[in-house]
Amino acid sequence: MFRDRYKHMCDRVHPDNDLIDHVLRSTRHGKRKRNTKVTFFRKPVIAVLSICLCIFIAVPALAATVDPIYDLIYLVSPGAAQFFIPVHKSDEDNGIEMKVVSAYIHGNRAEIYIAMRDLTGDRIDDTIDLFDSYSIHRPFDSSAWCRRVEYDESTKTATFLITIDEWGHKKIEGDKITLSVKEFLSRKTFYEDINIPIDFSSIAEADTMENMYMTGWGAVNEDDIPEHMTALMPSGPMPAFPVDGIDMTAIGYVDGMLHIQIAVNNNLETDNHGSVYFKNADGDIIEEKYHFYFIDQSEQSGRIDYCEYVFDIQQGQMGDYSLYGDFVTSGMRTEGNWRVTFPLEQSE
Amino acid sequence: MKPQSLRTDDCLEKAIRFYADMVYRLAFARTGTRHDADEIFQEVFMRYIRKQPRFENEAHRKAWLIKVTINCSKKLWSSAWRRKTEPLDEAIPFETKEDIDLYHELRQLPPKYREVIHLFYYEDMPLAEISRVLHRKNATVRTQLTRARALLKDLLKEDYDV
Repeated sequence: MFRDRYKHMCDRVHPDNDLIDHVLRSTRHGKRKRNTKVTFFRKPVIAVLSICLCIFIAVPALAATVDPIYDLIYLVSPGAAQFFIPVHKSDEDNGIEMKVVSAYIHGNRAEIYIAMRDLTGDRIDDTIDLFDSYSIHRPFDSSAWCRRVEYDESTKTATFLITIDEWGHKKIEGDKITLSVKEFLSRKTFYEDINIPIDFSSIAEADTMENMYMTGWGAVNEDDIPEHMTALMPSGPMPAFPVDGIDMTAIGYVDGMLHIQIAVNNNLETDNHGSVYFKNADGDIIEEKYHFYFIDQSEQSGRIDYCEYVFDIQQGQMGDYSLYGDFVTSGMRTEGNWRVTFPLEQSE
Repeated sequence: MKPQSLRTDDCLEKAIRFYADMVYRLAFARTGTRHDADEIFQEVFMRYIRKQPRFENEAHRKAWLIKVTINCSKKLWSSAWRRKTEPLDEAIPFETKEDIDLYHELRQLPPKYREVIHLFYYEDMPLAEISRVLHRKNATVRTQLTRARALLKDLLKEDYDV
């Protein structure tokens, strides 16, 4: 089990006795100094010296190109900032410019800063999401993640750090590498802790469906996930559901457990998603026991993604609870074909 | 007055010794280096000594120390110029291949995921408590844990059941 292995690893980690003793001495003698090796100067002096070192000695990459983006790189990736190599190659499509600002390729990992800028409108905002549409063109499988590190309102430019790990610890090799992005989402709306008005007094055992294609599941405690999961038969959207782009399509009891089903049409184009939970009169949150995702395989136009939340709340207790949810919906999806090929320079 | 003062100091010492491993391991889990964990460890307990906050119970004290550890980690993360002066390679405190491999795989996770993983799997804190301590929405913590598990499953493959 991962928990056991993780605990075994962490149990090996201890602070040095000298470190503990230093802190304890502070309690006895009222010392307030930290055990740093540089104690001869006041902090501003250290800061000035360090900045001078950064500018004049430590960072050859900065000497090549002075760009505000490097302030950001130092902020986001302080330990590795000096290894990032400037790229400054861009591609434009659909009125959007994608610029590869800087890259750090080491071993099987590629870390790439890119900037997306709208040249013609305001499709890029501070909610932009690359929607997992980025990739490096390599013949091997990889895992990747991306985070938006800055949004500049004045230039409508969003900067991302994309990290891609090639599986199998294979070193990324070759003369050049190509990064592509195919789409992004923006104009998102965030619904947080909103009440979902439902009359729970008439909730009863509900019809279930036989033919569904399960796409995933999860739980706070994985032991709560049953071997066989049964979904409610979807119905029409609940009229009073307060989120545009997400529907509540069924609610009812199955084998004594309360199921609540939400659905998203054409989710591969929107990434609308959310979760529901209950609160009692004191505001305490009651989580679901487990949830699962599925696609309805019955005849219909377009794909509908369902997520069903299962709560261990009995019918007689329902008067004590209110339903709440957190949701995110996207207002715009922009497609394009942005590709930048740049020289591959391994830093190790 | 002196006995009161001494008793207070005794409490501080006991608390520091009791929570030393917890603070250090959380700092190490989030930063991945002993050097950074050392810095954070000192900063957390210096704040503790300086402020000597009053706690309603031990759970409150533990939550305060976890929160301050996370805050100090973030502060260290943002002080870019300091970290560049440190060597990139340092000895890691692990001896077995399994521990070393797991350490390297975990370092591939974003820090915010590593802290949630640590609190959930090591400190055995339920999601509601993590949410309360980190001042994050319950759904946010749950999403972070789910994403962290998904990333770990990719990274660890069939090695462990996450």
